[in-house]
Amino acid sequence: MSDKDKSEKWSEWIREKDDPTKASGKPEALEGLTVLDCSNSSMSGLFASSYLAEFGAEVIRIEPPEGDPAREFSPWGYMHMGTGLGYLNEGRNKYHVTLNLKEPAGQQAFKTLAKRADVIIETFLPGTMDEWGIGYRQLSVDNPKLIYCALYTYGQFGPKASCGKADVDVVNQAYSGVTAVSGEPQNGAEPSPSEVPTKAGNWMGWYAGGAWAGLAIMAATHFRHLKGKGQFIDISPAEAFGRNINYGITYWQAFQQTLPRVGNLDVGIFPYTFFKCKDGYAFLAGFADINWKAFCTIIERLDLRERYPTVFDRLNLDNMKVMYKEIEKWTLARTYDEIFEAVMEYNRTIGVGVVVPGKLCSPKDAMGTHNWWERGVLIKQNDPHYGELTIANMPHKMTGSPPRVKWVCRPVGADNDYIFNKKLAWGPTKLKEMKEQGII
Amino acid sequence: MAKKEYFEWTESLFDPEKTFEKPEALEGLKIVELCTLVLGPSLPAYLSELGATVFKVEIPGMGDTMRSLTPFAKFFKGAALGWLKEARNKYHLGLDVHPEDGKQVFMDLVARSDVVVENLRSGTMDRWGIGYRQLKKINPKLIYIALNGFGQWGPYMERPSYDAIAQAESGMAWISGFPDKLPMKSGIWVADLYGGLNGAVSVLAALNHRDKTGEGQFIEISQAENMVRSLDWTWLYQHFTGNGRERYGNRDVAICPSDIFQCQDEMVAIAAATDEQFKGLCQAMGKPELAEDGRFATHPARLKEENATVLLESIRTWARENNYAQIDELAGKHHFAAQKVSTNKDHFEDEHLRKRNFTYTIEDLVYGEITQEGVVPKMSETPARIKWTGRPVGFHNEYILKRVLGYSSEKIKALKDDKVIGKWVDTPLGRKPPEDWDGKSGLPLA
Repeated sequence: MSDKDKSEKWSEWIREKDDPTKASGKPEALEGLTVLDCSNSSMSGLFASSYLAEFGAEVIRIEPPEGDPAREFSPWGYMHMGTGLGYLNEGRNKYHVTLNLKEPAGQQAFKTLAKRADVIIETFLPGTMDEWGIGYRQLSVDNPKLIYCALYTYGQFGPKASCGKADVDVVNQAYSGVTAVSGEPQNGAEPSPSEVPTKAGNWMGWYAGGAWAGLAIMAATHFRHLKGKGQFIDISPAEAFGRNINYGITYWQAFQQTLPRVGNLDVGIFPYTFFKCKDGYAFLAGFADINWKAFCTIIERLDLRERYPTVFDRLNLDNMKVMYKEIEKWTLARTYDEIFEAVMEYNRTIGVGVVVPGKLCSPKDAMGTHNWWERGVLIKQNDPHYGELTIANMPHKMTGSPPRVKWVCRPVGADNDYIFNKKLAWGPTKLKEMKEQGII
Repeated sequence: MAKKEYFEWTESLFDPEKTFEKPEALEGLKIVELCTLVLGPSLPAYLSELGATVFKVEIPGMGDTMRSLTPFAKFFKGAALGWLKEARNKYHLGLDVHPEDGKQVFMDLVARSDVVVENLRSGTMDRWGIGYRQLKKINPKLIYIALNGFGQWGPYMERPSYDAIAQAESGMAWISGFPDKLPMKSGIWVADLYGGLNGAVSVLAALNHRDKTGEGQFIEISQAENMVRSLDWTWLYQHFTGNGRERYGNRDVAICPSDIFQCQDEMVAIAAATDEQFKGLCQAMGKPELAEDGRFATHPARLKEENATVLLESIRTWARENNYAQIDELAGKHHFAAQKVSTNKDHFEDEHLRKRNFTYTIEDLVYGEITQEGVVPKMSETPARIKWTGRPVGFHNEYILKRVLGYSSEKIKALKDDKVIGKWVDTPLGRKPPEDWDGKSGLPLA
């Protein structure tokens, strides 16, 4: 460490080295890796390949000639230059080609590409690629180093794998177990329309599946580096999201009870929820005994600490409701900024125990929050084809081989000439012929 | 019957019975974890399932605060359920890194490891003299990942955070729940557990980079920023329309139909994401003509508010007239999506999930038979696995100090006498071994 390093504040030192605005020009973690992404109508496959593309892999998106149906996933059908917003967001750094995998000529071209590919991602019903003669069984014969990742709600084996049902985000969320423990509890004999198991608003099931696929593929590339062997990876996005559950199965084993939905409360922590304040909602937490004492000190209600001294008292649902009302009296009399300031002032000056404040923001508020722009989390990108766009960057900041967004998306088949020429030496005549035959 | 043969082949290829005959993808990778609560500890747990060796460093006595996280304060054999699941396969070292001797033990461990994971506030480790700047000197190939609420620099770097704050400030809570109700926090610590997952991906990206170049690096992840990235079309929608994204209950406004419906006996998610799937659903409903109707014939048409409302209402009516078994069968036959909202009981009893080692039972040397959410990736050559579930604070002290670091018995005793290393306390719950533990089972080098 140089003398300058020693005296330099950590935050400044590290910002100099991992600020995402300095990512371009640095090496890429997955440089040299070739990926064929045949995802079809699945954001989980697309997110997995975004991961690989943002870390530097050459990702070739293979769509049917009419385009991936996922291009039509968009709020109320809103299209930007013919592409829906869900797809537009996950086209990052990928080359976009078309290939009709149902036709022998398309399968033949795919086989040739697969011989020299490192990774294949697909999301068809299990066995579909196999039936076309381009599944892992066939492709790994010529390319034993191939890593082949299939994503499907019910996976590639097990009693339900052959059920034939489709994979859509909402079923992954429903099967994961997370939906059953999210949402408002039912109060009366009949549930009101909102007192039901409730999914996450975003495509959380699909994104969890994509992230696990990214993880498994990178573990497999590391293993291949060491042992020279590829493999078949089977990911269920439902299990992927289900692995992120706090607890569930062991709770049934131990107590034979399902876990209830408790709205914005938490069955394992209190206080840990949103409280109404003068101008919105404040999140406040202070659970462990020492933090609860800090909490009661800040809101000047040490009597609550007397009444609910242990975590056992605080994890009783009836008690939670009483404490909630009492705490809300304090928050209702203040604005969010006043609450935040009072809590942080305690943390700064007294600092015995810690109370954690936060603001309930709409995505509109979030988009106006300076911090995300300063940190390069939200970025404006001027895409060569789609123009100026606002997207979220990968959250990882890395000093050595950071991820980055080079372009946001490409239209259907936009890279046919470039990729098929580079990989298969197709010239204008062949390209025209394949197009006329409906192969590309 | 090509399909039948395919499934016979996959059954044999991925057979969980063969797991322990096969190698592990991350065998030999050593990770030192200095983390508390969930965001940090989940990351090494995921990597441990793929074969990494994880040394979890905890403060002697109390250990990780996470050891208290359990629903309604109900413990399983003295262990918190929120902790147990993310402590699997780890070696537990009760070590205080504040005294100089403790820092030295930590640095000795890091010198022999590949990855450090910490989740303290920005600059804390640096101030303690065991941050990235110091550790990379003793281990230049080190991959160091720091996870926390708002990152290592920037306007919010001093702010403490929890999972729910990441959900709240990213906008995720806002877009979840019903329009006429409050924004909804997820029923799980999604920003923690999904944050740790995304952190794990970047560790492996860095490992791939190190495989090629021999170089380590520093990585930071912010929990909230991680959720910002997961909000799919939100930012583009706001960019183009100037409207804010709101919440729409269980309905997906970007895929139609996609919603959760009440059928005769269950709440069931039903969706069709393509024209083909939609045709199948219409046939199942006995209304094939809907697929030809101009209002529903294409996906962009179905997504229009006025059309979506009509369509979802007709599915709602149909769902109410059928039970889940009927809908499930029709979905398989006609290839649309349908799945009942599954509970922990459903997972426990699900033969499919058991077969796939998602519902994963082990016989643990300390906790006995235990069933948990198991492993996600099924890998033909390097299957993921659980070897043991969590262990009490400091359970592996002797093993790590002797076997891994080669310390003498005298040195270990001195560290113990100076309270630099230590084991569990009896209270609060969640730190000590279960009542029926025999005092030696599960202890390596006991």
